Amino acid sequence: MLRLQDWIRRASWVDWFLLALRLVVIGVVGSGFVAGLLHPRYAQAEWLSFIAFGLTLGAIYALIALGYTMVYGILRMVNFAHGDVFMAGAYAACFSLLGCNRAGLLASHPLVSIGLALIGSVAAGAGIAVLGERIAYRPFRRSRSLAPLISTLGLSFVLEYSARGMFGAQNKSFPSIPLIDGNVVLMGFSMPRTQIVVVLAAVLTMVVLTLVVMRTRIGTAMRAVAEDQDAAILMGINVDRVIVFTFALGGLLAGIAGLLYGLVYKQVYFFMGFFLGVKGFGAAVLGGIGNIPGAMLGGFALGLVESLGPALFLDGLGVDSPYQLRDGIAYTMLVMVLIFRPRGLLGERLSTVRA
Amino acid sequence: MTPRLRTAVLRALAVTTLAASSLALLGATIARAETAGPVTDEVGVLKVPKGQPILIGGLMVLTGPDGALGLDASRGAQIAFDDHKNMLVGHAIKYAAEDGGCSVEGGQTGATRLAANKQIVGVIGPACSSEARGGAPILWNVGMTMADTSATAPALTAADRPAGLQGFVRFIYNDLNAAAAAVKYAQSLKVTKVATLHDGSLYAQQIAEAFATQWKAAGGTIVAAEAISPSDTDMRPVLTRIGTSHPEMLFAPIFTSASAYLTRQKPEVADMAKVRLLGTDAVLSPAFLEAAGDAAKGYQLTGIDNDPKFMGAGYPQFLTKYKAKFGEAPIAGYHANGYDAATALMLAVEKVAKTDAQGDTYIGRKAVRDALMATKDLDGLSGKLTCDKYGDCGSSHFAVFEYVSGDPSSYNVGVNPKKMYP
Repeated sequence: MLRLQDWIRRASWVDWFLLALRLVVIGVVGSGFVAGLLHPRYAQAEWLSFIAFGLTLGAIYALIALGYTMVYGILRMVNFAHGDVFMAGAYAACFSLLGCNRAGLLASHPLVSIGLALIGSVAAGAGIAVLGERIAYRPFRRSRSLAPLISTLGLSFVLEYSARGMFGAQNKSFPSIPLIDGNVVLMGFSMPRTQIVVVLAAVLTMVVLTLVVMRTRIGTAMRAVAEDQDAAILMGINVDRVIVFTFALGGLLAGIAGLLYGLVYKQVYFFMGFFLGVKGFGAAVLGGIGNIPGAMLGGFALGLVESLGPALFLDGLGVDSPYQLRDGIAYTMLVMVLIFRPRGLLGERLSTVRA
Repeated sequence: MTPRLRTAVLRALAVTTLAASSLALLGATIARAETAGPVTDEVGVLKVPKGQPILIGGLMVLTGPDGALGLDASRGAQIAFDDHKNMLVGHAIKYAAEDGGCSVEGGQTGATRLAANKQIVGVIGPACSSEARGGAPILWNVGMTMADTSATAPALTAADRPAGLQGFVRFIYNDLNAAAAAVKYAQSLKVTKVATLHDGSLYAQQIAEAFATQWKAAGGTIVAAEAISPSDTDMRPVLTRIGTSHPEMLFAPIFTSASAYLTRQKPEVADMAKVRLLGTDAVLSPAFLEAAGDAAKGYQLTGIDNDPKFMGAGYPQFLTKYKAKFGEAPIAGYHANGYDAATALMLAVEKVAKTDAQGDTYIGRKAVRDALMATKDLDGLSGKLTCDKYGDCGSSHFAVFEYVSGDPSSYNVGVNPKKMYP
């Protein structure tokens, strides 16, 4: 009670405005949520489908977001070319599978083909990320200006238009893999097999990443550099090596995300990294940039909101064609979360731990 | 000077400036007519000095997933120039096309670049209705007429269209007719419940709305009218939503990339797996096969009927020239419209251009627009063309096609996609 009185005494008009905004948001979202759930349009099967679609999209966002958040955690720098590293991974996976298809391997040994595609996408992602670090970031690492940021934007355009020059401006069809195509019935609900594979693969990747960061020497070094770079140098940690490893790890995850994206959505094109990169960055910010579990949580949250949000909130509010507004609802949610929790969903937890 | 006097002087100055500006603006509006050489024109006169080339612009999507739509029309226009010996009223033709990106912003950017070159007599294109919405007003503001090749949204030639679209004359069908063809086909399938899906673009939204209006007027039911964003890649949620309405057919007049995502993801949504999908000629290009792969098989779309009895007499020879000049068969369905738009523009310029004793040529800009609008019984490649008073000049013979292979190299309108109806 005393704290409330103290807050009322100290609050400026901005605090009152934010409070009113929060109440309005809670009111609108709450009423939309309740009305959406009571809406007779969707049965249980549809809600489960929306959740499955959201988890699939979220898994890909999360893998991309991890690259942003790891680099930010180490260097306090946003790598805007990371979305295009994802694009390179997707192209590498696509061409690997097309090659396997031409050789007849895709039909006879689909798992081997997926393995080769994984190697291709991971090699492309990690290779380009490391090359980017060496050419475009390292020269500016000590710069106090916006040069590193501009350099990442420049590299992004170089990668996009190189892909356009090499592979054409048209969308390219990602080969289908019969082994994981089609639907499977789980507990009475039909779900695309690919989505189950993709979500499981993404979760497995995140578990492995967590083990690498938490249980290995290089992971410990990464955390040390993220905590205090100067202290890490004094402790004998080779910071250059840690930074290169972080970029490689982020590129590797982007490569895996590229393969998984291709398996689910079945098209690749030179500009794909821009939109998905923005979404991945949004997911990293949502979770609390610099925080690895936060990036995972942010990715899944963003995917679920994109998939469920229009049906859950906008349908309930009587908005026509709600799926046209899916990006709008996702970014509105992002802004609202940042108003409520400026450091993102898990950002404060990290700062508390550090303190 | 006292403060009161200073205020009075400042107020008088402000009123005088305002009045002078208003008068100047009014004068400029009234006295816009321009005389140069032997020509007087309400909008302006273009002078092409002797020996100088005559410039024709192009504005259409040339890159990206929908690039084939504009490139095909642009190639048709280039063959029309070749057939005119690349000469127009005694001047060599110089053609320069800008990429409109199939968007309002791209249309504005491309049109601004073209409008900056005051020597351009007229513009071929655009390919997309959004480009027209963004670009046509900018071009008409400097008196440049657009001879359109594939922007089909009804609003562009509606009776109440904005003044900025007065310079837009199209040599392709109006989507009111394309929607009617889709309705007729749906009726032939004996379906009653149809859903529509557009991507918010001027073209897709207007043809979806025209279809819904006509379908309901014909006694059918629209069970869902949904929309996506052009950059959406995950169609499953919106398909799930549509599936709850249990349509028998989905009319989705969306572009290459979104259509390919749609056709590949539809089988994964249980309620939509068996629903018929009908698109439009926005995906009549090998780029769709490149994007959709084998999932393109069975994809049906409405488009211009290329039956020889509807096309102009010169169409077979045109196809030979196209292959000889560009090394491949037509890459989309708008080459004939590009040829016709360029031909009509050249005929309009020939009709109104005047050359003085020094050999300089003068062309009235509004006169070009009026002459283009007056096109009558032109034997075009896409049929016999006559413009109405709103600038609709295209012929409207439609067919329904179906892709039978996902191999881009097999693309050949009539073979893949194969004509299904009528």
